[in-house]
Amino acid sequence: MQLNPSEISDLIKKKIENFDLSAEAHTEGTVVSVTDGIVRVHGLSEAMQGEMLEFPGNTFGMALNLERDSVGVVVLGSYQHISEGDTVKCTGKILEVPVGEALLGRVVDALGNPIDGKGAIDTTETAPIEKIAPGVIARQSVDEPVQLGLKSIDAMIPVGRGQRELIIGDRQTGKTAIAIDAIINQKGTGIKCIYVAIGQKRSSIANVVRKLEEHGAMAHTIIVAASASESAALQFIAPYTGCSMGEFFRDRGEDALIIYDDLTKQAWAYRQVSLLLRRPPGREAYPGDVFYLHSRLLERASRINADEVEKLTGGKVKGKTGSLTALPIIETQGGDVSAFVPTNVISITDGQIFLESDLFNSGIRPAVNAGLSVSRVGGAAQTKIIKKLGGGTRLDLAQYRELAAFAQFASDLDESTRKQIERGQRVTELMKQNQYSPMSVAQMAVSLFAANEGFLDNIEVNKVLDFEAALQSYMKSEHSQLMDNINATGDFSDEIKNGMLKAIQTFIKTHSW
Amino acid sequence: MSELATLARPYASAVFKRAKETNSTEKWSKSLAFMSAVLSDAEISVLVDNPKVSNERLSALMLDICQGQVDEEGANFLKLLVQNNRLTLAAAISKIFEEYKAESEGYVDVEVTTAYAFSKEEKQGFTSALEKKLSKKVHMNVTVDKSLIGGVLVRAGDRVIDGSIRGQLQQLAKRL
Repeated sequence: MQLNPSEISDLIKKKIENFDLSAEAHTEGTVVSVTDGIVRVHGLSEAMQGEMLEFPGNTFGMALNLERDSVGVVVLGSYQHISEGDTVKCTGKILEVPVGEALLGRVVDALGNPIDGKGAIDTTETAPIEKIAPGVIARQSVDEPVQLGLKSIDAMIPVGRGQRELIIGDRQTGKTAIAIDAIINQKGTGIKCIYVAIGQKRSSIANVVRKLEEHGAMAHTIIVAASASESAALQFIAPYTGCSMGEFFRDRGEDALIIYDDLTKQAWAYRQVSLLLRRPPGREAYPGDVFYLHSRLLERASRINADEVEKLTGGKVKGKTGSLTALPIIETQGGDVSAFVPTNVISITDGQIFLESDLFNSGIRPAVNAGLSVSRVGGAAQTKIIKKLGGGTRLDLAQYRELAAFAQFASDLDESTRKQIERGQRVTELMKQNQYSPMSVAQMAVSLFAANEGFLDNIEVNKVLDFEAALQSYMKSEHSQLMDNINATGDFSDEIKNGMLKAIQTFIKTHSW
Repeated sequence: MSELATLARPYASAVFKRAKETNSTEKWSKSLAFMSAVLSDAEISVLVDNPKVSNERLSALMLDICQGQVDEEGANFLKLLVQNNRLTLAAAISKIFEEYKAESEGYVDVEVTTAYAFSKEEKQGFTSALEKKLSKKVHMNVTVDKSLIGGVLVRAGDRVIDGSIRGQLQQLAKRL
């Protein structure tokens, strides 16, 4: 697009016209020292905790330590041009970022500036990055599901709107893959997604953006990126930025899903900032408030009732509840969930999806450990049909785990034990699912129903997935009305049950896989 | 700078309390100002930092220089500073002392920079306006700086009221 010169001068003219010529009153201080992105400032006697401070060269910082004679400030961005004796001004504002619908489909940095080369973001609304979570009265219990589109998770560890469900596991166990599938599956559901990448490689972030674009999921997604090369301060504030963007939707009676990938790196960044600010180190050298760091963030993910939405929108939105669902990710070292940050976040969240490298390497993907994974509130939100059919899955797998050690003595075991082992093997196989192929409620229901009714028992273990694929394509082409019906109602009525039973029986008789 | 202020505060508050007791804040204010002026001299500060100069010699020297400018208590204070190796704090102590003094007497020291010198009436009007705004008595110190282009820049402690053309141009530049 060619810029019209008159446009520019018009713009400038307008800005000059609207320029407010009042005398500017502020508090000033002087830079005393600059060390690794931490600036000590003398003066600034009226600075607030978390206030945005202005350095020369259009650079901003955030006041974190207020001491008697100095203020400890983290510089947001590059600090090379700041030197001793520079003046620092108070802005009187807590750090704010742009929020709004216009951010959907965009990639922004931790301060909300676009970094995808698609031009300025057309929004005038801003929100402070640190807000207090909704109060007790404003909340409503979680009773609507967020479908992640993964059989193993939606059946056994359901996530509800407004829930905080931790995804935890070692490196290379498919944590991000679950998050990306969850975003892709929200296409057309009206749930807005925010993906916050903290301390990741730029190439990984670019990969995520490309995958989401390929699957048409960018239109309902905001990506907040604070890559490994950005300053620790930006990595530390990025989750709060994303959360404020998500709260915008929640407070307007919409539903949003936010993914923090990952909070371990955020804790590292915060540890760096804290140590440089000379706050006393505690366990694993984290500062004393590392629990509060995560609890205040995750507490903001919530479901708020219709009254609160009406109040927040000034009566514009009536009778709608809002929610912000959080899927924080934590990376463990060598499967150690008893380290400091993992235990903290486990205790804050409403359950966890536990991924294991052993399962991942033996080809069970998603590598969900069904025994250690729980969802404390999701059960109330689960779709009826999945709840009914998924209950058996959990039981089958639990019984199988107890008996799996005896699997090699199959010939010496009694009939019922062998049956349980075989059922377990097949269900384990059935829980496998390819990346980027989330399933609808109806598809999951059909697969789970087939397992529950024992249709898989006569199929060889290594043929289970082929059987499932063939069955799914048959159901799609021959019984689309039944599938639509399940997706629409989510009920497990006799009509649906008989429909599925007949369809699968016919399929087994007439098809091969 | 901030560390200096932290170290200097107990000295300044002790001196101020003593000055209040003996009703001699003006005298103390002058002697502290003189001490900090002496110590800001390059040659003196070299001596102070020199480890070869013993404390006795240093205190004798300081007392010699300050003779007539400080009274007996002032001399004791100088000796104490030498003994504690805190002579370098003199300027910071003097500054904090002035702050305490201003606070207890209910005025603020204000530095005003203008592009053009004030006339008498202007100064009067400006002072009363400032007093109203800061709701305190104002001791004004006016300097003229042509680079402001126009208007005034007021500085009261950390607070800055920038009503100069230069400041407004900078604001405008940022906005565009």
